[in-house]
Amino acid sequence: MKEVMMLIVVILPIFTGILLPLLFFRTRKGMWIYLETAVCVNSLLVLWMLLHAPEGTLTVFRFTGNLSITLRLDGIGAVFAALAALLWPFAMLYSFEYMKSEKNEKSFLLFYVVTYGITLGVALAENILTMYFFFEMLSLVTLPLVMHERTREAVHASRMYLYYMLGGAAFAFIGMTFVLAYGTTSTFVAGGVLDMARTGGKTDMLLLIYLLCFCGFSVKTAMWPFSSWLPKASVAPTPVTALLHAVAVVNTGAFAAMRVTYYSFGTELLRGTWVQSVILILTVFTIVYGCSRALKETHLKRRLAWSTVGNMSYILFGAALMTPAGLAGAMAHMICHSFMKLCSFFCAGAIMHKTGRNYIHELNGFGRKMPKVCFFFSISAFALTGVPGLCGFVSKWYLAKAAVENGNILAYVGVAGLLVSALLTAVYMLTIVIRFFFPGKDFDSRTLEDVEDAGWMMLAPIGMAAAAMICLGLHFGPVLEVLERIAGELGTL
Amino acid sequence: MDELLLIPIGLPILAGVVLLLSSFLECRRGVGTIGVGKGLSIFVSGVIGISAVLALTAAWQGEGEARLFSLLKGIPVYFRVDEAGRLFVTLVSIVWLLVTVYALAYMKEEKDGKRFFGFWLLLYGVLVGLDFAGNLVTMYFFYEMMTLASVPLVLHDGSRESIMAALKYLFYSLCGAYGGLFGIFFLYRYCDSLTFAPGGTLNLNAVQGQEGILLTAVFVMILGFGVKAGMLPFHAWLPTAHPVAPSPASAVLSSVIVKSGVLALLRAVFYIVGTDFLRGTWVQYGWMILSLLTVFVGSLLAFREKVFKKRLAYSTVSQVSYILFGLSLFEADAMTGAFLHVVFHAFVKCGLFLTAGIFLHCLHRQHVEELGGIGKRMPVMLWSYTLLSLALVGIPPACGFISKWYLGLGALQSETGIFSWMGPVILLVSALLTAGYLLPVSMKGFFPGKEGKAAEIMVSEEETKCSFGMLLPVVLLGGTAILAGIFPNPLIRYASDFAGKLLGMKGLG
Repeated sequence: MKEVMMLIVVILPIFTGILLPLLFFRTRKGMWIYLETAVCVNSLLVLWMLLHAPEGTLTVFRFTGNLSITLRLDGIGAVFAALAALLWPFAMLYSFEYMKSEKNEKSFLLFYVVTYGITLGVALAENILTMYFFFEMLSLVTLPLVMHERTREAVHASRMYLYYMLGGAAFAFIGMTFVLAYGTTSTFVAGGVLDMARTGGKTDMLLLIYLLCFCGFSVKTAMWPFSSWLPKASVAPTPVTALLHAVAVVNTGAFAAMRVTYYSFGTELLRGTWVQSVILILTVFTIVYGCSRALKETHLKRRLAWSTVGNMSYILFGAALMTPAGLAGAMAHMICHSFMKLCSFFCAGAIMHKTGRNYIHELNGFGRKMPKVCFFFSISAFALTGVPGLCGFVSKWYLAKAAVENGNILAYVGVAGLLVSALLTAVYMLTIVIRFFFPGKDFDSRTLEDVEDAGWMMLAPIGMAAAAMICLGLHFGPVLEVLERIAGELGTL
Repeated sequence: MDELLLIPIGLPILAGVVLLLSSFLECRRGVGTIGVGKGLSIFVSGVIGISAVLALTAAWQGEGEARLFSLLKGIPVYFRVDEAGRLFVTLVSIVWLLVTVYALAYMKEEKDGKRFFGFWLLLYGVLVGLDFAGNLVTMYFFYEMMTLASVPLVLHDGSRESIMAALKYLFYSLCGAYGGLFGIFFLYRYCDSLTFAPGGTLNLNAVQGQEGILLTAVFVMILGFGVKAGMLPFHAWLPTAHPVAPSPASAVLSSVIVKSGVLALLRAVFYIVGTDFLRGTWVQYGWMILSLLTVFVGSLLAFREKVFKKRLAYSTVSQVSYILFGLSLFEADAMTGAFLHVVFHAFVKCGLFLTAGIFLHCLHRQHVEELGGIGKRMPVMLWSYTLLSLALVGIPPACGFISKWYLGLGALQSETGIFSWMGPVILLVSALLTAGYLLPVSMKGFFPGKEGKAAEIMVSEEETKCSFGMLLPVVLLGGTAILAGIFPNPLIRYASDFAGKLLGMKGLG
């Protein structure tokens, strides 16, 4: 019985979305209540499911043989599902206020709520085919969200988005077929499923295929050289940029990459090979590259998007260490980065929405007019920079710890990369904070007379994310225990 | 007694936050007041007074410790009183008490006094936390906080120049902190624990075969923490950031904050890595070369600089590297000298910057050439300045002589080849340069010559009277500089015991 719950949490948001155009709401508030209730109920169901931890699998649909759409809850999936369940209700609340004055509000909210179900589908996928299915769906469902504004720029961005996503998925597909051909099963098993008897002599080819597959999934994570879609896609309304392109979609890419590395190909085959070196180099390069591009960018949202590029590669870097500790560090950063980037994007969105100012040089002296938003933005800036006591420091610590233990020289370079990127992050985030609060002597406060602070529907999610950053930063112990237990299935830490 | 340790850390931080909030609200309502009200004065001096007394009590009443929640797995936020903490807390508290008196007078007519004192209190709490920190991660936490809390002091006046200087300061400091963090990551892997223990906690079995990478990491760490201490090649932030800050802020930046870099280095090298591992390696020699180079180059740059506060900042670059050189020798007498120089330089440089502040604030003069003939107007102050200069140059009986004596002695006794004689030579040359850049101000001040007198009369209308609150700390510091040189024995005993303990020897005093 418990297993059915897995299907329900995937289906419920999808149906909620599909029903939206069919239902008639007298006021906008009615629609809000309908959506928020559905999302909250779904999150509670996810929570219930996590607490009761169904052990079995649930096959929804079987194509042939071992090709089936099957759901199952396991450790790493549980973490991802919990993250989504925690963030979605708040992001929904935020998007209500944000979309109030935009066009086509309804169609936006429709797709927005549908993505929730699909993200959970990725988290709960039992085998590589199911994951691939939901992974593709996610690309398609988020496309209208990117295109939402229908401007030339938005259409261009969404076309680019589509090409990148489909291209990435194609490479991932190649990997999938090889896992099906050479694996004992298509299911995700801790430690990998490749049948060593069948792979003999073809290791090099398999490694190449793994590289293609990893890169394919990493397109969604915006790893260099596949990173330029992400800043372009920031033309989308901020709820999309914040929740999807800083958290859900990009994390899905990282999550899928972890799955194929640790649960399909298996680290035993990969550790110490040239493929690992290639991936480590790519991720470390992306870490520094993303931050450098962020530094150059003067558009607030695009700067944050480039920052996401860098930060997502932290996660991939952790995963590419191919040790349980690396996986734990990667997941730690996945959780921490979600809150940090959600908060900073939400703040950026609040500023853009309330004042129409998009560029960083226009933000002088905002601290006086939007104190709450600017305060929370500063917290997220400090967290991203890695100030101890906030969650960014904690996750960086565990990533670096895993890298140092790894002993690979590239991992040491990676540690240096992490710190260089932290420094660059400080430059591009703290300059904004200083602009907010120390506008300088000749600043004329009359230029900001139209500016006012955001409403509670925006501030509540932002405040929640900020509180989470502080709590995680000060007391990461319990979360770490869970992560280590999950990673521990893969071998001793 | 353990909770006592937390009050001098928590109270100023809390009080600082309260002040900042209230200043922020005032600013929003647009009723920002100019200057320092009576209430603010009482509040600030009360908080600083109480916390300083508590901090000193905690420091000198035995080995208290306090353990809070764990920040990372197995690494709690942990405070403990030990010799290093005791020394630095005493230093910070005394400097803070004196400079607060000065700052209250100095900020009378400046804008945003409340904000300034908010960060002022905050910074004091953070520094006490830094000094009492019992493990590397707690220390790193407060180290970062220190940077963040001191940046607003640098950009206080809000001009474009000061904001750029503050950013430069911020990025240099963060760069350094991350260098330190790089080392911490590796030490966490190779050490038994990150809790400070004299002699180090390095697990030599784990290091076997990995010496190269660990040495590199430690060197990066030394460079990183050296940024705060103004060691070459990362000294450029000092002459930019110190002059633009209001003088009380530059006084503590130059006397106390740069010393935090020294403390961090001391903690990392002597309490975690241990000297046994580093003795005779390229890391030790690299450190020595850099610090000696800094001693020389810093003095040379100071000698060439015409802006008075910048000159003092370069002087700090040079003088702090005396301390770093003393530490790098791993020799008991040199370390004694280094600890003495920590104390003496803090007092002297604090006094010098406060003097520069008076020139700037009361006479509106920032260039050295403009200072001719001020001996007549401000005799007490110029006398104090002269005493302080003599102390920094190292002329007996002023205090700088004692610390330099021990530094030179230690260098000669250390078995470091060429450095054992080159060190003292460079120290002497630098002392000459120090005399060359400090004493002309006194000479011109007392004996301006003919043209000087004319210039003096021309601008005399602009002057404002220097208040007693600003003069008193300078005079006290000048007096201390001489008295500490005449009666140095208790301090020497403390320093040499401490040095001996760190090097695993019996006390020498």
